[in-house]
Amino acid sequence: MAPSPRSPALHFLALAGLAAAAALIANALASPARHLAWRRSAAAPLAFPSPTERPGPQAGADSGQSVLAPPARPAPPPGPSRPAARAEEVAASSPIREISSGEAWEAFKSGVPFLDARRRAEFAEGHVAGAWCAPVWESDLDERLLSFKAARRPGPEDAIVIYCSGGECRDSHLLAARLLDEGYGHLLIYRDGFPDWLGQKRPVETGQP
Amino acid sequence: MRRLLLHPKLVLATRILLGLIFLAAALPKIADPPGFAKAIWAYGLFPPWSINPLALLLPWLELVCGLALCLGRWTRAAALWCSILLLAFSLALAIDLARQHPTDCGCFGSSSQRSEAERMVDMRWALGRDLGLLLLAIQLSWSSLRRQDRRPGSEPEGARP
Repeated sequence: MAPSPRSPALHFLALAGLAAAAALIANALASPARHLAWRRSAAAPLAFPSPTERPGPQAGADSGQSVLAPPARPAPPPGPSRPAARAEEVAASSPIREISSGEAWEAFKSGVPFLDARRRAEFAEGHVAGAWCAPVWESDLDERLLSFKAARRPGPEDAIVIYCSGGECRDSHLLAARLLDEGYGHLLIYRDGFPDWLGQKRPVETGQP
Repeated sequence: MRRLLLHPKLVLATRILLGLIFLAAALPKIADPPGFAKAIWAYGLFPPWSINPLALLLPWLELVCGLALCLGRWTRAAALWCSILLLAFSLALAIDLARQHPTDCGCFGSSSQRSEAERMVDMRWALGRDLGLLLLAIQLSWSSLRRQDRRPGSEPEGARP
């Protein structure tokens, strides 16, 4: 029988249909660590952080301000001020700021809750002692944040330290943006993340969340 | 040259090679959709609403196309899909290279942490590889088209083993 000229087009669509059906079934049967929502929840910001949105690397570190102090409310300048002083003011008043290794240790000793934004498998391999698992890319993030809030009951002005793998990892920034949307205004991003914590030989735990 | 490019043994080797590469690329992504979603997001090119559907669909499309090529079924349609996917991957890499935005390719699943300079070098290699594979996919599409033109009424698909 002669092949229909339409058959390649039908095959083309059939391949896409097969892929879509397989994706639907596989995702429906996937474990929570592998499951992905077809639509992200509206409360999960995914805007790519541009360099100008990133907090300055020394924000908070050299300002002489305690890492646990809530961000100062910016007051309108009474007169012309130096740009450097203005930048420090903005950094100190930012609800999300990066903190150094020493500041993260200070926060840990003060009992500030730590949120681990890495994947669940990485958390199981090792995490900051007492940290809460909040993997931004996994579908049960909402439930995990709810259980964290129920257990720790953080107020909007209470400090929360968020970390991931340091370096170029942006998961902690995504989680901070998410918490900021929920009304939390004192979010400290541990810039160097878990590799630094491990390198400093600070308390670590292993195991599933 | 044309006869060489359309030689059945070369077409068969291309089909199997491309099929195996697509299978190898699909499996790690199917095993970890959140990791692939993160890789897509890191390109900084896609609107947020599109990231999860892409992360769920693309690996399965790669898998069915890879299987079709390896089994020699629906070769023309599979080669066309492979060409479209490879063109899209190449464009994404080229745009990020042009704007100096270092990204992990994510082509074969998540990769280990690398410095920005290492990632830029990896992106150049990945772009070269994707363009090479695109040429193979185009050759496969062309050969299946020629085969159908030359033998109307006979087997329309690419060379069979």
